[in-house]
Amino acid sequence: MTATDVRAPLYEARHLSKSYGSVRAVRDVSLHVSAGELVGLVGDNGAGKSTLVKMLSGVYAPDEGELLVDGIEKHWKSPHEAMQAGVETLYQDSGLALDLTIGANVFLGREKMQRGILGKLGFLNQREMDKEAAEDLERTGIAVAASRRKVGQLSGGQRQAVAIGRAVAWAKKVIILDEPTNHLGARQAGEVLSVMQAARDRGLGVIFISHTLPHILQVCDRIVVMRLGAVVRDAPTSAFTAETLLGAITGLHVGE
Amino acid sequence: MSLLAERSSTVAAADADREPSLVRRIVGNQQFILLVAFIVLFAFFTERNSVFLSVSEIGNNVTEFCTLIMLAVGETFVIATGGIDLSVASTAEFAGIVAAFGMEHSASHGQAFIIALGTVIALFTGAFVGLVNALLINVLKLVPFVATLVTLGAGAGMCLVLTGGSPVDNDINAIDMTRPLLGPFSWPAMIIIGITIISGLYLHLSRFGRYTFAIGSNPFAARAVGINVTLHTYLVYILSGILAGLTGMYLFMQLGSGSPTSADGAELTAIAAVVIGGARLTGGSARLTGTVLGAAILTIVSSGLIIMNVSPNFNQVAVAICIALAASLQVLRRGTRKEA
Repeated sequence: MTATDVRAPLYEARHLSKSYGSVRAVRDVSLHVSAGELVGLVGDNGAGKSTLVKMLSGVYAPDEGELLVDGIEKHWKSPHEAMQAGVETLYQDSGLALDLTIGANVFLGREKMQRGILGKLGFLNQREMDKEAAEDLERTGIAVAASRRKVGQLSGGQRQAVAIGRAVAWAKKVIILDEPTNHLGARQAGEVLSVMQAARDRGLGVIFISHTLPHILQVCDRIVVMRLGAVVRDAPTSAFTAETLLGAITGLHVGE
Repeated sequence: MSLLAERSSTVAAADADREPSLVRRIVGNQQFILLVAFIVLFAFFTERNSVFLSVSEIGNNVTEFCTLIMLAVGETFVIATGGIDLSVASTAEFAGIVAAFGMEHSASHGQAFIIALGTVIALFTGAFVGLVNALLINVLKLVPFVATLVTLGAGAGMCLVLTGGSPVDNDINAIDMTRPLLGPFSWPAMIIIGITIISGLYLHLSRFGRYTFAIGSNPFAARAVGINVTLHTYLVYILSGILAGLTGMYLFMQLGSGSPTSADGAELTAIAAVVIGGARLTGGSARLTGTVLGAAILTIVSSGLIIMNVSPNFNQVAVAICIALAASLQVLRRGTRKEA
């Protein structure tokens, strides 16, 4: 019996299915994440992870099944709606505007306006955004330079740090990270992992998608394994070793 | 902890970036180079012929600048989103002609009323063409180049259909209003300069401008954070259309008629001003001060050539040289940044 079983799921997917034409990308998948839980989602290419993530983050509507936040059913019309409900997603390609500054990116879509008439006329309070962006990133444990720099001037690792910092800073309930450690060096990947753990410790539900199994085994509380569009294992990390996890993914030693 | 070690190194890098050497700061600042180029050109033309410095000649330059700058401002917004608007010049002509017809039917009213009416008609005509552009882009999914090429052709064609090819004269004398009032500035010129300043503030300091750059930089990211990219596309092309329509009214006031050829080729000059100003044609990066300086340089080059008795046919060549110089300046800048 783990603590997970007692806690109510913060975000829950029940019996999701999604087809593209005749291809059933996701078949009857159920998944949940609780507050303060870090769930790993693994599977081979084509296992249906990306499709599942896109349904969870509001990019696609599921053909069947339901999504519940705090037990209340949700039908996302857009990723933005999911974001407003507290579900943040960090995509593989990070979703930053490279020509904008760090501060502008952190606040993109939720700008702080000037007070009074200037704000009503549509003018931004960039100074406050820069200041708060720096504080937000600092709080999530992310090392980036001054808010005024353009994201395009940053290294790949720093860009990823900004993207994660933005997602963690804004996520009210759940944060979904799709391959956040891709293209990162060992040290930067380690930083990303500790940022995820910090987010979990702050009470967020974290869903971590990765091909890098050592990272999954290192930080996750629970691991969900997908194969051929279905969930084949959903168990606490302690139930897996590197070998049995790989076996579950490839389907060669299921249930070992 | 590695985190802290990295922080100190990245902060140091940022500080180095914030205070680059004087040389690099100058080479890296397109606006500064453009300003210097403008002053040098101005001094050169004045040295060639001191008439260049006279209030009346400066007034001519201001008039020319004003016919170009609103097209270039609209183009700056469009280009910042990663689009292009080829229709601005034909829209200006079309709006000028429609306004000329509209004013003809209200010739019994006072002059101020007629001009205001013409301005409103031109504004809405421009907005309509901008709306058509955005519909072609958003609904028919045409790329901006093709969509605005369609309206460029359609607008020019409509001008000929409406006028039979000759200017629309309507006995409304607005030329008085385009005479200098304050130094070399007529009151329409002052309004146009005011619109330009406000546009600059909106492009660089407002949420509208922020979204404009965000869409040009990464439309996927913009959409993901809830920016209504489709709506913004409508607004940007309508803005460009409105500014083109107002340019059409300004041309009408100068010429005293709505002419189907008054702005021919101006779309390329407007795009040239934006490019010389340092904007990236793929979107995400533009400066309105750059566009203003680009338009100012193009204006004084063409009037300077006239004053030096160079055939106006060379004007296009001069514009081409300006573009080539500005574009290579950008390449040079990118080079120095990489070394940094």
